[in-house]
Amino acid sequence: MAAVKKNSFIPGLVIGSFLFYMLIPILATYVFSIANRWDRSILPEGLTLEWYKVAFADPWFFIVFKHSLILSITTVFASVIIIVPTAYWVHLRNPKARPLFDLISTIPFAIPGVVLSLGLIRLYARPPLMLARTPAMLVAAYVIFTMPFMYRPVVNSLEAVNIRVLTEAAQSLGSSWLRTITQVILPNILPGILSGGLLVFAIIFGEFTIATFLVGARYKTFPMQLVYYTRRDGRIASAYSVISFTIAWVSSLIIIWVVAWGAKRTSARNSQSTKDLTTASTGDQR
Amino acid sequence: MSYLDLIHLDKAFDEAIAVRDFNLQVEQGEFVSLLGPSGCGKTTTLRMVAGFETPDTGSIFLSGKDITSMPPNRRGMGMVFQSYALFPNMTAWNNVAFGLRIARLSTSEIKTRVTELLDLVGLSDVGHKYSNELSGGQQQRVALARALANEPKVLLLDEPLSALDAVVRVSLRHEIRRIQTALGITTIYVTHDQEEALSISDRVVVMRRAVIEQIGTPEEIYVQPDTHFVATFVGTINQFPGILVDAPRGLVTNISPNWTISAQPITDGKLKNGDAVTVLIRPDEIHLSHIETVVNEENSLTAVVKSITLLGAVTRLNLDLDGHPIIVDIKTVDRGRFFLDEHVQFSFTREACSVMSDIDTVSNDI
Amino acid sequence: MCRDDELSEVQIKPGSRDMSRKKTLLFNWIPLLPFLILCLAIMILPLFFMLQGSFTGSDGEFTLEHYSKMGASIYALSFKNSILLSGLTAILGVIIGLIVGYFIFQLISKRSKEMMTALCDVTSNFSGAPLAFAFIIVLGSNGVLTLAAQKYLAWEIYPTFSIYSFWGLVLVYTYFQLPLMVLLIIPAIAGLKREWREAAYGMGANSHQYWRYVGIPVLTPAILSGLLLLFANSFGAYATAYTLTEFRYPLVTLQLGFLLTGEVFRDPGAGDAMGILTLILMGISILFYQLAARRGRKWQQ
Repeated sequence: MAAVKKNSFIPGLVIGSFLFYMLIPILATYVFSIANRWDRSILPEGLTLEWYKVAFADPWFFIVFKHSLILSITTVFASVIIIVPTAYWVHLRNPKARPLFDLISTIPFAIPGVVLSLGLIRLYARPPLMLARTPAMLVAAYVIFTMPFMYRPVVNSLEAVNIRVLTEAAQSLGSSWLRTITQVILPNILPGILSGGLLVFAIIFGEFTIATFLVGARYKTFPMQLVYYTRRDGRIASAYSVISFTIAWVSSLIIIWVVAWGAKRTSARNSQSTKDLTTASTGDQR
Repeated sequence: MSYLDLIHLDKAFDEAIAVRDFNLQVEQGEFVSLLGPSGCGKTTTLRMVAGFETPDTGSIFLSGKDITSMPPNRRGMGMVFQSYALFPNMTAWNNVAFGLRIARLSTSEIKTRVTELLDLVGLSDVGHKYSNELSGGQQQRVALARALANEPKVLLLDEPLSALDAVVRVSLRHEIRRIQTALGITTIYVTHDQEEALSISDRVVVMRRAVIEQIGTPEEIYVQPDTHFVATFVGTINQFPGILVDAPRGLVTNISPNWTISAQPITDGKLKNGDAVTVLIRPDEIHLSHIETVVNEENSLTAVVKSITLLGAVTRLNLDLDGHPIIVDIKTVDRGRFFLDEHVQFSFTREACSVMSDIDTVSNDI
Repeated sequence: MCRDDELSEVQIKPGSRDMSRKKTLLFNWIPLLPFLILCLAIMILPLFFMLQGSFTGSDGEFTLEHYSKMGASIYALSFKNSILLSGLTAILGVIIGLIVGYFIFQLISKRSKEMMTALCDVTSNFSGAPLAFAFIIVLGSNGVLTLAAQKYLAWEIYPTFSIYSFWGLVLVYTYFQLPLMVLLIIPAIAGLKREWREAAYGMGANSHQYWRYVGIPVLTPAILSGLLLLFANSFGAYATAYTLTEFRYPLVTLQLGFLLTGEVFRDPGAGDAMGILTLILMGISILFYQLAARRGRKWQQ
């Protein structure tokens, strides 16, 4: 009963405007980063890679990039090590704890980055616990901050594959715990771990707020440097922006691919997991 | 001691008792089914044998050895699950080979054995496929092959056919039995489908609410049910409630419409005169004839044919005697002899009657 | 661990097994401790201390002065602005997202639907400082569109519409709200079974009535959860607003940030009170979001 021949005017207009709104800022950033001069005319006056060269020439570039990379990767690892076994244990051995953990995994959504920073500084920055301002504390904060984004995909994976029965099947065939974990459990929750890990990586790499307040100048990160340049030199800032955003959307695409691969493997009707990943997606880079 | 001994097994979860005082001796090579409605404890019992649950009290002996606390991965039993439980990250081949690799067989031995097993279950050409590329029936066969790979001492099947459609279920159950007989593996099979249990088992254990109701061959279960529950759970049965008035002569008076059934003499003292009892009679043990035909069964009455339903090889007639429904099964070839609304004579022998106390009435827990 | 389908009716049993049962109970929780301790250390304790601090005056005594401060001047203004901004962008995001989502769903080719969804996925990552900066490039005083409008339409966008003002914030915030809503609403629209529409039409309803009595009501959980999610999302945002306005524009998160900058802690009690109020607001939003989302999931089956 829906209109067979759609009025091609309105849908086109709506989607077109949407695309315009979404893509223009992105395009503008990319073009700005390679534009010679662009403050007097519609189109850039010339194209150049000058700004990237300047950005790379600054030793700070590599320092902050390295810092952000280290933070992201460390958070991912810490997250996997703490959360994956926990999710597994709750799912398999202590199902009664499930409601509690489901609740805990949504609490971080209700805590904005500033508030978390405030709380941590208030508690840990007083002597004798001068812990607050270290990268280690930052990673700990990050693990909690991104916890929902790792917990949920892993739990979805565990459910999609019915890990309990698989574990029992492996045991009935004589498998030791180690073998069961490495050959049966991990391979089957790998899509969940990977997509969770990628998401955490992308979020942390672009995270500005908590990093600024917790460690600030002691451990400068990529987004902090970006913000610094937005006030000093817009063109360098745009180069940073391009890099930051590129990393983010490449991660997104990889996640989409991983989720699809995982779903195909278990042929599970899990469109749910993609949705959960992306709704309330990237934490406090805003 | 038999090959597999389950002795006084008890299991409770929190406050709810799942299995109570379960005793069973299984001979080597025997095919035993655990049959009952959901919640009766059959799966919990199986899982205790497998090692996934530990009995609260009681013991399990295999070949004379106490395996009660042995972890599941050392018991040498093969298990087939209702949901197949094939490892999604491995091909069918690798699923079957999994246990063999654990047993450290050489590559060529593994190759021979897996090929042999896939042949056995009729799936020689799908070894390379993943579980999501196989149908339910195929997956279950792979699961069976996998469970048999390490030549287990006992084969355990937990409602393996419940998730499959009817046609596949029937053919696959016969195949399971065929393979089991060929290999001579002691097998415990859990199901809620009584037709399945009766058709392929050497013995059946009927369970209800954590307790064993009866253990016997399929014939014993069907023809000589020990309890009211077994009689009504397995197959269809007619129930006639009444009062026992003469135990030595086995006379039961029906409350209405005032007819007396002559059952077998009751001499074991379990029931006394005046007890409320139910007489149970199988539909196939009631004979139909036209009125005034001479019959030589002790019990003979007249009723009206209310419906005639063709079930296949058997045709079921529902008779009515003053409001009492009576179910009679006849061979379909004979169905032409009777008509709707006809008054017919139905009769049955003393031996066809089971008399049981009314206390143990079946509620709607099936 | 027991199987649900194996429990018979509840029967009282002797308590002799209780001891070993209690032991198993304890064992089941030990592997969960690392995670729980981390949660405690990073989430629970700090918030608890914040709560305490919000009621503690500079003399260490119990006081409500911090909260009464909230009702006045810059703090009240910040809350007002934040709620206004978040509410407005949430509503805008929901309405526009609903419409856009609907049209995307109507796209004929599966491929374009997938691409649009991927686009939303990707653009929802474009937020914070890079996004704010992108809008400065486009609509700042020398922005691309500003100049284009000036040149071709003789329309002076700036400074009537300044990207650095409230409405600028609205525009930028809506940018990252939209994709979120689209991604949320598409599965819900997909859940509107075609048969319902056909059944409604079969009973004589027209398009308008279908939407009014079936479509929108069924979508309501998704719409509500969208509103709540977007609200919370927006309220907690910091980097975007900071990049655009630094501390000039009074928003709750910015105010909190201001209190945190510098080595010396300015007015910790006020910060705590702000933090707690924010948590209450966000907590309620997320709580209702979960409830709405759960209801929506049930209906989508």
